[in-house]
Amino acid sequence: MYRYDEFDTTFVRQRVDQFRDQVNRRVSGELTEEQFRPLRLMNGLYLQLHAYMLRVAVPYGTLNAAQMRKLAFIADKYDKGYGHFTTRQNIQYNWPKLPDVPDILDHLADVEMHAIQTSGNCIRNVTADQWSGAAADEVEDPRPYAELMRQWSSLHPEFSFLPRKFKIAVTGAQADRAAIAYHDIGLRLKKNGSDEIGFEVLVGGGMGRTPMIAARIRDWLPKQELLAYLEAIMRVYNLHGRRDNKYKARIKILVHELGAEEFTSQVEEEYTRIDAPRVMPPAQELERIAAYFAPPAFDDLQDDSPKFMQHEEEDAAFAQWVERNVAAHKQRGYAIVNVSLKPVGGVPGDASSDQMRAVADLAEQLSLDEIRVTHEQNLVLPHVRKQDLYRLWQELKKHELADANIGLATDIIACPGLDYCALATARSIPISQDISNRLGDIARQREIGDLKIKISGCINACGHHHAGHIGILGLEKRGQEYYQITLGGSGDERASVGEIIGPGFSSETVTDAVETIVDTYVGLRQNGETFIEAYRRVGPDPFKEAVYAAH
Amino acid sequence: MAKKITGPQVLTANQLSDGMAVFLSNDNVWLTSIENAQFARSEEEATDLEACALPAIRSNDIVDPYLIEIEETEAGPVPVEFRERRRIAGPSVQVTFNTRPNGQLALAS
Repeated sequence: MYRYDEFDTTFVRQRVDQFRDQVNRRVSGELTEEQFRPLRLMNGLYLQLHAYMLRVAVPYGTLNAAQMRKLAFIADKYDKGYGHFTTRQNIQYNWPKLPDVPDILDHLADVEMHAIQTSGNCIRNVTADQWSGAAADEVEDPRPYAELMRQWSSLHPEFSFLPRKFKIAVTGAQADRAAIAYHDIGLRLKKNGSDEIGFEVLVGGGMGRTPMIAARIRDWLPKQELLAYLEAIMRVYNLHGRRDNKYKARIKILVHELGAEEFTSQVEEEYTRIDAPRVMPPAQELERIAAYFAPPAFDDLQDDSPKFMQHEEEDAAFAQWVERNVAAHKQRGYAIVNVSLKPVGGVPGDASSDQMRAVADLAEQLSLDEIRVTHEQNLVLPHVRKQDLYRLWQELKKHELADANIGLATDIIACPGLDYCALATARSIPISQDISNRLGDIARQREIGDLKIKISGCINACGHHHAGHIGILGLEKRGQEYYQITLGGSGDERASVGEIIGPGFSSETVTDAVETIVDTYVGLRQNGETFIEAYRRVGPDPFKEAVYAAH
Repeated sequence: MAKKITGPQVLTANQLSDGMAVFLSNDNVWLTSIENAQFARSEEEATDLEACALPAIRSNDIVDPYLIEIEETEAGPVPVEFRERRRIAGPSVQVTFNTRPNGQLALAS
């Protein structure tokens, strides 16, 4: 894992001190709310529906045990004993008090964490494939580049006041687990024809009220040119991105209005004007960062563990958990474990402080001190010996963290919605709970198979509903919540935007509609098709007919 | 200039210290309950009611005051907008840990 150098430490501590002073001045009245608002937002502090909300960055979703324990400590001491892991791999606390926030930031700084770049019109916390450095299918760990981008963007004067927020995601694998096509910039490490590793560069993806899939503007970029090329993209955006209308200010609108070809041409032209060697850090700095992400000290193991295979054979519940929650690791004898934060009927992404501490302990004992947060609001223990899987599963069960539902119907993404969020127009969480309870029987979930249900409580789409196989958008009309359903969205390497199927549903009937859609799929699928495969074959009509005939 | 209103209004804001929703009462005190909130029934009264926020803004007790429309019911004033009803009720979520079933989050013990 990356460790702060002297510059990082000083920078983060200074920001804590500055914010402490800003809070003091706000409380004393020296700063007005209007003056204070941009300052608190630059430190991840929002004023929500019922309280402040502090969004803490988890850079590229990577944590160690000490950091997770600190998050648990903060949840207990300054909040209500839990935290909410988000679709940007961050954690949010829903109940901090303003005078406590500087102390919270101080505690975070103790473990090299902060809340910088989690709000405002800046380059936000860079997200990454949660299996980075572990996945069997990746060409290279993308996290050193994510860290490089963090350092490059944190204090860059050109990027502190962009037209709008700006989100970058990076992956090192062909299978897209980071939804890169839905980001302002999506980066994928890949090999060219000469077996050299570089970046495929996508620009202009996004959710919100105008969902768009990013355009590929470079099929392959030499790795060492990354920052210079990104700077060219940001300059074109800064120059032409609209600042007169916040709804048209994201780079996706610029790419759309200029056209991908013209946008690409302007970026390439700008790139020729950039003094690339000045932008790129020296090779030794890249090596210094990369060294922190060197593979941990893996044991030299046989790939097959007889102990593991025996448990898999003898314990059906364990075998089911392995099938859904365990993934192939690049290191022989190891596995990636996905820890579900989606108990049936639970709140997606929420974890109690006890659960955080349990995950921290297990990471330390069984996963080489590493934890990841996923954009699908789950956790990952990335480096587990196969021979330890059974023990790990038993421990996870004790803490209600062993649901074998990764990628199934109850592995729902839901934003905080109108239970917490000041921008929301409807609730998301109770809808996700209702659907989860309805479809929660594990045999039924397994019968349905891979299915991504994603729920947003407003058009800003923090719940990624556009990318849901079944997407649900909560809106409000005449004082009542109602829910629009989209079908056919996907956030993976075949990214697509879901299509609205028709008039919305009340909070009482939306779960019935979802169940009808699921049952319709089960009835029409062929040869083991997944939901999204079946949808792509038959289109929306059978689902519309079933849903609107039934309602 | 007087505000256009379509029904009775109450004045709400958030407490600076913890962000909690508060309502200006008949006694010109900011309370977390809407029950005894002061009403504005005309556009002139709405303008006057908004002005009542100034002392609490100046004393750094509240932020972001605004008027909300309510319906008068036997149980007391109820906001017309769903958002405001939720803001008063608190999260409906039954958080598995540290919560009570009535939707009011309990402090972690």
